[in-house]
Amino acid sequence: MAGLLAGLLGRFGKPSQELIVFAIAVACFIFFAVSLQGFASIGNIVAMLRSIAILGILSTGMAVVVIGRGLDLSQVSVMAISAAWTLTLMNGGMTLFPAMALGLLFALAIGVLNGWIIAFIEIPPLFATLATGLVCFGVGRWLLIDSVHAYPPKGADDFLFIGQGHLVGIPMPIIIFIVAAVFVHWMLSRTVVGRHIFGLGDNMLAARLMGVAVRPLIIFSYAFSAFIAFIAGLTMASSVASMNTEVINSTLVFDVLLVVVLGGISLSGGRGSIVSVVVGACLIGILLNGMTILNVNSDAQNIAKSVVLLAAIVIDRRLHPKDEETDKQGDH
Amino acid sequence: MNALANEADAPKPDASNIGEPLIKVIGATKIYGGVHAIEGVDFDLYPGEIHALAGENGAGKSTLCKALSGTIKLTSGTTMVDGVERHFDNPGESLAAGIAMVYQETSLVPSMSVAQNLRLGKEKFMNRMRGLYIEGQVMLQTLNFHVDPALSVATLGAAQRQMVEIARAVYHDARVIIFDEPTATLTPEEKQHFFDLVRDLKARGVSIVYVSHALEESLDISDRITVLRDGKHIITAPTSEMSREDLVRHMVGREEAQSHYQQRAKDGEIEGKSKKRRRVLTVENVTMGNMVKNMSFSAYEGEVAVMAGLVGSGRTEIAKIICGAYKRNLFHGGRIFLDGEAIRYRVPKQAIDDGIVYITEDRKIEGFLETMSIKDNIYLSWLASKLGRGFLISNGRRNELGTDMTKRLEVRAPSADVKVNELSGGNQQKVVVGKSLVQKPKVVIFDEPTRGVDVGSIPEIHQIIRNLADEGVTVIVISSYLPEVLTLADRILVARQGRVVEEFVGGQATEEEIMYAAVH
Repeated sequence: MAGLLAGLLGRFGKPSQELIVFAIAVACFIFFAVSLQGFASIGNIVAMLRSIAILGILSTGMAVVVIGRGLDLSQVSVMAISAAWTLTLMNGGMTLFPAMALGLLFALAIGVLNGWIIAFIEIPPLFATLATGLVCFGVGRWLLIDSVHAYPPKGADDFLFIGQGHLVGIPMPIIIFIVAAVFVHWMLSRTVVGRHIFGLGDNMLAARLMGVAVRPLIIFSYAFSAFIAFIAGLTMASSVASMNTEVINSTLVFDVLLVVVLGGISLSGGRGSIVSVVVGACLIGILLNGMTILNVNSDAQNIAKSVVLLAAIVIDRRLHPKDEETDKQGDH
Repeated sequence: MNALANEADAPKPDASNIGEPLIKVIGATKIYGGVHAIEGVDFDLYPGEIHALAGENGAGKSTLCKALSGTIKLTSGTTMVDGVERHFDNPGESLAAGIAMVYQETSLVPSMSVAQNLRLGKEKFMNRMRGLYIEGQVMLQTLNFHVDPALSVATLGAAQRQMVEIARAVYHDARVIIFDEPTATLTPEEKQHFFDLVRDLKARGVSIVYVSHALEESLDISDRITVLRDGKHIITAPTSEMSREDLVRHMVGREEAQSHYQQRAKDGEIEGKSKKRRRVLTVENVTMGNMVKNMSFSAYEGEVAVMAGLVGSGRTEIAKIICGAYKRNLFHGGRIFLDGEAIRYRVPKQAIDDGIVYITEDRKIEGFLETMSIKDNIYLSWLASKLGRGFLISNGRRNELGTDMTKRLEVRAPSADVKVNELSGGNQQKVVVGKSLVQKPKVVIFDEPTRGVDVGSIPEIHQIIRNLADEGVTVIVISSYLPEVLTLADRILVARQGRVVEEFVGGQATEEEIMYAAVH
């Protein structure tokens, strides 16, 4: 709790971008709570959190990669294919855990491939993950999965519990989101690997000269992102009892990036924390939920999302103007 | 505005040192992150004058030049051009007013041809190649430059690039050309050619601001000299009234600055020191591409070996090969021994595990992590070494290491929680050094340890280096600054074109001997 507060308040007393986004989120919440009946009810809040759980889980994985100055566009593809393959294997007669193990192995393989291409062949992550995402989708649809949709077999109740069950009255997707967020936060702020990822994202050359094993670290971050994608995939498949692989043609991966950037994780690496991901996901959840109740159409919702993103970044720039010298360095 | 430009087109060769100054700067002040880079500096420049700026590293010469050329904005102070107050927000505006800057690192576009670079920023709507080349050729020939305008800039050497850059300034009708360390990368012959050119420009009525470390050059070529020290204006005087000793005294602000190494030599502290010592590092015939060719040398325990030489002589490259940042040739790449064992590192991590650290010359690019505090930088470095293998981080250890190291190296900062890029150059350098020392190395390679370091911190960094050697660490220092070479060295290695060509015992060599070995 103390760490969360310190993160929100920023180091120099000036509000951080996280705090700005948090304030906007609270303002939106109060606005909707006052103007919409039933918005602030427990039922609606749980529904709201549930609707952003998948997005939130994916964002924790993306955050790790982005803090290490990378980008993982293959995340949604890995999520869809690994989960769908798990379901297909279960339909083929395999029990839950072996099927999950194979699905996880597939996800990790794509993650390691991403990391290896970026670290050793030194291809920019944008292109590398774009390509591996398509490879993953192609291989999956061609060799692993029979149709566009994959369904869990009849009677797979333990599988359905992952997405539809409740623990102490809270739906499982929310629990998984909270566990993922807490775990990644702990990893980034308390472990040596976490420190190294921040170092990598801040200045790869300096980190390398310092003796950080940069390449294994890059591979780790992408493998971790794929792992999180697999978890998100299982949650998604279980909560709606199917996996629609067409999800990779949606804008989900950009929503994930939106959430990550919104809270103040910089695409230039080294800055931000999981607190900001949670705050960003909450803001998006509040906005979308409120607007859906208000019957705002999806185009207007998209516009609202982007306005919020730009506003948060502009306010942050105003409050934290860059020094001329460091500004120039970035341009070269 | 137009009247100004027209006036600019007509050079005034007769108007030297009389009448109105072309540029007058009053009370120029620039603050970076709370530190004054320059403070209340006055400067003026008359038409057809060569005005040298002198001062040590970090005295504010470059800052003043950048302010004149519109690269940075002054925090306060006025700039008058032709008696009219002007504000330059970007280099384009000052170029339009006739002020051009020729940078240390040239600012040409490497993939374009010479002629295209000349016209860069002044293109017509349609540019015919043939017309462009003819125009370029005429331009270059009037300046007596022997460069083919059709060549791409990437294929040119440092001296030729500089010529193109000068031609570009002339092409843009510059009335004022600012040279920042123009001779640092030139050979003696090229330097002579360059001086002829500067005098030629002066004869055409161009005013020149000349910044150089080499005092002799400034004394030789300039009409007036301004000395800056610690960002403040010390004196402006006609060159004819200045001697080298005066200049040094004004720059350093004290007499004994140069006698430090002579003192050490007198004490007999240096001579014959290496003979009794254990050899730690041996470099044998190491080769890497064109940069390092058959380089061989050794370094001994408890000794400071200084490698002198020009930029591009393979010094940084060999250091990076030793520490694993670069790889030497796989075949016929030579051998490197640490304590008698052959080593070949793929990544710096392996070198650090073996106790070899490299402290970079380019601390802004690869020296420290700018989003992190002093403590975090030092702690992360410790974590990355053998000492810090573990899984969880410890805040106690972080504070302990950070505070210890800032105290030991006398880093001047409000606290160890301040971000590194808010410190002055010298304190940043100390943090970078501290980051490496916390890894408990056996061999430390310093690459230009005092580049861009404020004057006050230089002796402190020298002291840190001496102390390391006295503790029995093997120290290699790479330096282009001869007084520094002589101050620090137990042994001097001179590199030229990828080889170590000469070796001196510290205290027995003179600046002239070292320079001679470095260029011939």
